[in-house]
Amino acid sequence: MADTAFRKIDIDIYDEDVLLETELYDPDPRDPSQVLSDAKQKQGAVRSSLAKSDIPGALDIALDSAPYGPNVDEAKNLTLQTVVTILNSTKSSDISNVIKALSQDAQDTLMKYIYKGMGMPGWGDVSGSVLLGWHEKLTEIAGTGCIVRAMTDRRSV
Amino acid sequence: MSNVLRPYLAAVRSTLTAALTLENFSSQVVERHNKPEVEARGSKEVLLNPLTISRNENERVLIEPSVNSIRMSIKIKQADEIERILCHKFTRFMMQRAESFVVLRRKPVPGYDISFLITHVHAETMLKHKIVDFIIQFMEEVDREISEMKLSLNARARIVAESYLSAFNA
Amino acid sequence: MSAPEVYSIAKSPISCHSFNADRSQVAVSLNDNDVQIYDRRGKEWQVTETLSEHDKTITSIDWAPNSNRIVTASQDRNAYVWQQSPDPQTGKMVWKPTLVLLRINRAATFVRWSPNEDKFAVASGARAIAVCSFDSENNWWVARLLKKPIRSTVLSVDWHPNNVLLAAGSADMKARVFSAYIKDVDKRPAASVWGEKLPFNTICGEYSSPAGGWVHAVGFSPSGDVLAFAGHDSSITVVYPSGPAVYCIRINTLPYVTLTWTAEDMIVAAGHDCQPIVFSGSEGGWAAVGSLDDTTTGGAKAGTARSGPVGRLNSAAFNTFRNADSRGHNADTAGDTELLTVHQNTITSVRPYEYSSDGSVARVSTSGVDGKLVVWNVSAVSTGGLAGRLGGMRI
Repeated sequence: MADTAFRKIDIDIYDEDVLLETELYDPDPRDPSQVLSDAKQKQGAVRSSLAKSDIPGALDIALDSAPYGPNVDEAKNLTLQTVVTILNSTKSSDISNVIKALSQDAQDTLMKYIYKGMGMPGWGDVSGSVLLGWHEKLTEIAGTGCIVRAMTDRRSV
Repeated sequence: MSNVLRPYLAAVRSTLTAALTLENFSSQVVERHNKPEVEARGSKEVLLNPLTISRNENERVLIEPSVNSIRMSIKIKQADEIERILCHKFTRFMMQRAESFVVLRRKPVPGYDISFLITHVHAETMLKHKIVDFIIQFMEEVDREISEMKLSLNARARIVAESYLSAFNA
Repeated sequence: MSAPEVYSIAKSPISCHSFNADRSQVAVSLNDNDVQIYDRRGKEWQVTETLSEHDKTITSIDWAPNSNRIVTASQDRNAYVWQQSPDPQTGKMVWKPTLVLLRINRAATFVRWSPNEDKFAVASGARAIAVCSFDSENNWWVARLLKKPIRSTVLSVDWHPNNVLLAAGSADMKARVFSAYIKDVDKRPAASVWGEKLPFNTICGEYSSPAGGWVHAVGFSPSGDVLAFAGHDSSITVVYPSGPAVYCIRINTLPYVTLTWTAEDMIVAAGHDCQPIVFSGSEGGWAAVGSLDDTTTGGAKAGTARSGPVGRLNSAAFNTFRNADSRGHNADTAGDTELLTVHQNTITSVRPYEYSSDGSVARVSTSGVDGKLVVWNVSAVSTGGLAGRLGGMRI
């Protein structure tokens, strides 16, 4: 049997015109360690906002300059946890008003976190219904365009 | 029960609607070819972020969009061994007849029970919202179908057991 | 408010359309390898000629109004220029094709004549744009390629009114402005906001879509000083290079795939949303004004459909599934196959149809995947439609 491993070589990556994963978006200017410390700092700020039951303020802080790109997985998970904590501690009757108070950027980022939360293995049982409830309200307010942007934006959170 | 089902299906519906924004896109890797980019995965820039919608750990939907095709995979609820067997038989039956279902994929994506592949040709020849309706309807009915099959299976087992054991009753 | 003129041309999708100068004929491609030329017969359109030379799906058609030539681009990597000439036997005028040497090895995706009709640009999947001009010595069309720095399929192009600059939108999420200056054809262009010295392949501007969407459509404003582009991330971006100011409008609905300027302060965009939306603004800012499609006149049907709980999704269908979910019965779904919009599926192209005396566009034509060709009055903006829709989403 002749060696067939060469058939599996991806020759397209040697095409110099081809777009690479890293070229699909502008990288985060911040250093990975700084991103992590920012995320930790935000977590603290969110806690104090939540203590004052200022949900829109807490979401604003958490969704601002969200970590994206490679090498910042820890910061990403931390921010996701922060966001989900906020979502869990919101009364379902307040959701619409909280979303309306957010900027369009923040709405788009929130949509990304909702999908990420639903995609996490093992999370479905914990917060599935909460995330679905937020998803429904967010789609009502920000429309399908918001979902389209969650798909197109390669700066995945 | 239905309280969680409704937002789940609504989320699937809105995500599918957003993903079904397809166009005719000729391959930029292979000359004079036109293939579903989500399957060919030839160029990164025409693939979009895959999105997951989960109702709970056992019921999930994965939607992988691209410029001219989307792939949608469903993980169907399987609470026990019987449901697992029934689900396997049921999806296998459908997938072996995939060409009659037009948008059905012959093999599911790993980790899921059944997958659909919708290309721009489908979006052109069929009404888009009807495709979405079809999938939502499928998702509703597959659960019901499996629980009905489970019930009739149990009923049948009981009848068989009764008629068998009645022989010793006399 | 005048109702749009709706012509159901075909059952199959119309991939592109282009009218002749006096709008008595239209060239369309019905998602196949042939171009059909329709003549207006009163209220109807009738096929009079079929141009078949391509052997793959035709992607774009452009009919030059003054020189009466048609250029077609197709996924078979070729473009043809069609010119009317008398048939040697019968003397009847027939369309004769001339092959263009494009020098591209992937599908041609989009084609447009330059304003002077002495050049045309063909966008392609070969990560290049072929700028073609006529070589009278050899009696053929020759192409020069704009290649750098395009990294993916070019989806659309648009010419600047000065016949030199060319805007291109591509799947690498960028809109770019190039110089397509060809020495033997063009006079030296006057300096503009885009630059002064413009040799071939100068990049005069490069702009990204805000959330990483493919740039489906680009367009220069009538003066050529402003550029607008529509991205797949449901956004419209308007660029003032002199400012420099960039305005980005994110929309709530599905992405637009085509746009056209109707005046210096107005854009009509359409796409997956199935209705043409008017945007208006100036250097101070831009916003959506309303829809040309007055969906509120749909009567009672429209009223019930607007109150749907999930945004602008088809709520008749939604009710069906809600019935099935909560009451376990399947309603008859035969009644909800129609959308409230005029176009029943994605609009693939929107183009100027009629100009008013002040040079602005008075009417635009759209064609869509549903096989309809519609002529809209630009002034008939139904703000109620958009407001109603937005209102519906805030319930």
